[in-house]
Amino acid sequence: MPTLLQLKNVTKTYGSQNTKFDALKNINLKIDSGEFVSITGPSGSGKSTLMHIIGLLDNPTSGKVILGNENTSKLKENQLASLRNKSLGFVFQQFNLLSKTSSLDNTILPLLYSNIPQKEHKKLGIKMLDKVKIKNKASNTPAQLSGGEQQRVAIARALINNPKIILADEPTGNLDSKSGKNIIKLLKRLNKEGKTIILVTHDLSLAKLANRMITIKDGQIKC
Amino acid sequence: MLKPNPRELLKSSFKSIFKNKTRTLLTSLGIIIGVTSVILLISIGNGLKSFINDQFESLGSNFVIITAGKIFNEEGGFNNEGAYTTFSFNKKDVTTLKRKLKNINAVIPASQSTVKAKFQDTIKESMLIATTTDYAIYRKQKLKQGRWFNESEEKKESKVIVLGSKIAKNLFQNTYPINKKVSIGSANFKVVGVIEEMGGTLGGPSFDDYIYTPLETGFNFMENDGIQSIDIAVKNKEDIALIKKEVEKILLENYDEDKFSVFDQNKILSSINTILNTLTIALTGIAAISLVVGGIGIMNIMLVSVTERTREIGLRKAVGAYPRAILLQFLFEAVILSVFGGSIGILLGSIGTIALSNFFPAKVTIESILLAFGVCCAVGIIFGVAPARRASKLSPIDALRYE
Repeated sequence: MPTLLQLKNVTKTYGSQNTKFDALKNINLKIDSGEFVSITGPSGSGKSTLMHIIGLLDNPTSGKVILGNENTSKLKENQLASLRNKSLGFVFQQFNLLSKTSSLDNTILPLLYSNIPQKEHKKLGIKMLDKVKIKNKASNTPAQLSGGEQQRVAIARALINNPKIILADEPTGNLDSKSGKNIIKLLKRLNKEGKTIILVTHDLSLAKLANRMITIKDGQIKC
Repeated sequence: MLKPNPRELLKSSFKSIFKNKTRTLLTSLGIIIGVTSVILLISIGNGLKSFINDQFESLGSNFVIITAGKIFNEEGGFNNEGAYTTFSFNKKDVTTLKRKLKNINAVIPASQSTVKAKFQDTIKESMLIATTTDYAIYRKQKLKQGRWFNESEEKKESKVIVLGSKIAKNLFQNTYPINKKVSIGSANFKVVGVIEEMGGTLGGPSFDDYIYTPLETGFNFMENDGIQSIDIAVKNKEDIALIKKEVEKILLENYDEDKFSVFDQNKILSSINTILNTLTIALTGIAAISLVVGGIGIMNIMLVSVTERTREIGLRKAVGAYPRAILLQFLFEAVILSVFGGSIGILLGSIGTIALSNFFPAKVTIESILLAFGVCCAVGIIFGVAPARRASKLSPIDALRYE
């Protein structure tokens, strides 16, 4: 499988001279297309920072992030936004759905910033909601959905632009164990269908479900 | 490179704004009040202007008017001091003008004096205008009852009067006034006619309060025999400017330049319009302050909204919104709020104007609506830029982490 994502000597430092703190230290990582990778580690280990850098939401202090063949460290803000829109799908612990907005409208939000013609938005949205088995709740607002259902809508939103990578940051953190398991099942299914999944979790039992587990401690990869 | 789709962004802004209807309405309240006031004030100003124009038109046009005193200042406005002149013309001036001017229909002198008119027990203060029969012809006086005094009465210096509609009503109530006697000073005058109502003059002396009598008769009973104004009825409108010059030349042979004024109705009209325009602009300016206050209200709510929706902004950025798309979204929201308020304001202002027009001259114009609409868009943009810029500059990760 070709390498989809590569991190070379990535370091992220926060604070100024006296309060300097390295959240990530010299991270080198390769993720191939179609992999299901989990990133785990204790609280404050740097896994969320790593996820933000992989997700092009934050810039490394030094080092390179190569997505496909593109070195993203040289890209401008608009180009990064464009790359996030086309190549990455995010699933957050807090779901981050727009309130008072239907599941369908939440799902198609990324299309607002894409080149996909507007007339196709609804059709695509319904297709994605169907894929995560929540098509019947297309007109419901987040307040009318359970936690598990809200996370399904968030996954549908992450899938809408057919991204190469799905980045899931503690996707089961706000769910009961049954709903959590169902979400992991869904992620595994998506992986089988060819999506590259990067799962960030502090829960070892979930992390072990991935094909490869990366443990991070004190800003460094341990294995 | 992704393109923003303004239509979809606009749709998204609409959805965001109308998610919270009460807040939207309250935020727009300042703009609603501001625009309503602006529309009402401009409508009243325009209504007054067209009312005054109509009044002047109804008094007859094609006149060169000569009055004692310098009544216009150099800026085209009225000169207050000029109105209190003691100077007056005499009968010789009238004869000279009649003899020397060509292409005119009539020279109509008028002398005026404040008098007390009495009928039975009713006493009313009025303005006695001593003039000629030509006044009725060229000033288009329409009579409700009786007739205007005639040339024979003029020659005989008969004690006859024609009453304005209001003074007639005040003196006679329900009594038929024709051929009744009205005491003015020490003499009794016979009422020969009553003029049709001409309408109000917006606080100034009303023509409906005037009493008209033949010129010579008037001189016999007035304290002075001076002529305060002379109207020249001109045959053709095109000759007005030329005749004005001739009149000035004739009068300058005997009087100093600052003793009299020669003008036509357009001059009075343009002076009144100058005053009304200044007044309308000043009042509209005051009303526009509330638009600024409304704009600040919108900016305040938009800043609150940016803070409240920080996570949403982070999410939008995470899924591919670039800074300009966020900026446009929030700018559109501010403009929608402002235009929404403006539209309600235009509607209320128009309804208010229609209601007001039953009691007062007021007229909505398309210009005032366009002006109000334009100002609303401008207010939305001006006061929306700062919150929108703040939103667009948020870092996606900080915005997503915001609690």
